[in-house]
Amino acid sequence: MMQIRNSSSRWGAGAQLLHWLMALGIATAMGLGWVMVNLPMGALKFQLYAVHKSLGITLLALVMLRLVWRWLNTTPPLPGQLPRHERWLAHGAHRALYALMLLMPLSGYVINSAANFPLNVFGLVQIPNLTPESEALGEWASRIHLALFWGFVLVLAGHIGGALRHHFILRDDILRRMLPGRSPR
Amino acid sequence: MRSYPVLALALGLAAMPALAADRWQIQHPDSRLGFEATQQGGQFEGHFADYSAQMRFSADDLANSGFDVRIDMTSVDTGSGQRDNALPDKPWFHTEVFPEARYVTREIRRTDDGYEAVGDLTIRDNTHEVILPFTWQVDGDTAMMDGSVVIDRTRFGVGQGEWQDPQVAGHDVEVIVDLTLDRVAD
Repeated sequence: MMQIRNSSSRWGAGAQLLHWLMALGIATAMGLGWVMVNLPMGALKFQLYAVHKSLGITLLALVMLRLVWRWLNTTPPLPGQLPRHERWLAHGAHRALYALMLLMPLSGYVINSAANFPLNVFGLVQIPNLTPESEALGEWASRIHLALFWGFVLVLAGHIGGALRHHFILRDDILRRMLPGRSPR
Repeated sequence: MRSYPVLALALGLAAMPALAADRWQIQHPDSRLGFEATQQGGQFEGHFADYSAQMRFSADDLANSGFDVRIDMTSVDTGSGQRDNALPDKPWFHTEVFPEARYVTREIRRTDDGYEAVGDLTIRDNTHEVILPFTWQVDGDTAMMDGSVVIDRTRFGVGQGEWQDPQVAGHDVEVIVDLTLDRVAD
């Protein structure tokens, strides 16, 4: 039985669940976002927008929960043999990911708010808009949302590439400690 | 030839309800002709800024009470530029051809909670009977009318083609009438 909280050698079940749930959600939201903006005007486009927005707000709630959980838990340190610049790169990437996980849904929320569109999360609860109606603000938020998308793609490529490199080339337990199953040494 | 004006006057009088029920005038700053609808499952509100009505109402003379309401469809305001730009277009109100909606009552009835108006609502080129329940409270020469009714926008051809999808915009639209009226001397 895996423990819920983090230990000094691995991520606990709580952090793992949040990590993989959000990984799935982020990939889905990015895929939906890419497809929906390129669809012609129509019912399907609007359905995808509704799911994308609901998913975004859910991810925003999850990342806040995740930050609290991280703060309440010990963070398993990076292996000691890691070179300084890699250590710096990993920390930088993780910070960037947290910033992106917050700013991505927030900027989307602003786009929707500035259009004064209602936002009902998965048909369960309607949340209030953040800003007054403003076409200019909406355009700015759209630009930022798109720029953040490419930023996300870039940092995720590094994050996933790094994890795979550690697992398959360096053969350390960096990836394994974010995976359920047997405890690393 | 000489009898024509007289005839016209007689016809005019015959076309109007008998002059027993009181005539009322909408006090626009204190009145609202609004609606609630849904978009992608989320609720939003809107209203029509320009509308006018000929209204006669007396609680003790419902037979001669009645409303004739005209709504300027171009005056729709839902607080969202994107929505308000789309609504006058062809799939929605198509205001270029149908600038006005109209509600003309045929009967006003008393109910347990107040009254209900039985009338014909015309939006675009579709006319359907709509029964509007309402309350009417008089305080001196002022009256407050409150009523609401849910209509199916697709029956009136509002939101055609792809926009018929209820997930894009719900079919049910609640029309909300909240009027302050002044009694007018005949």
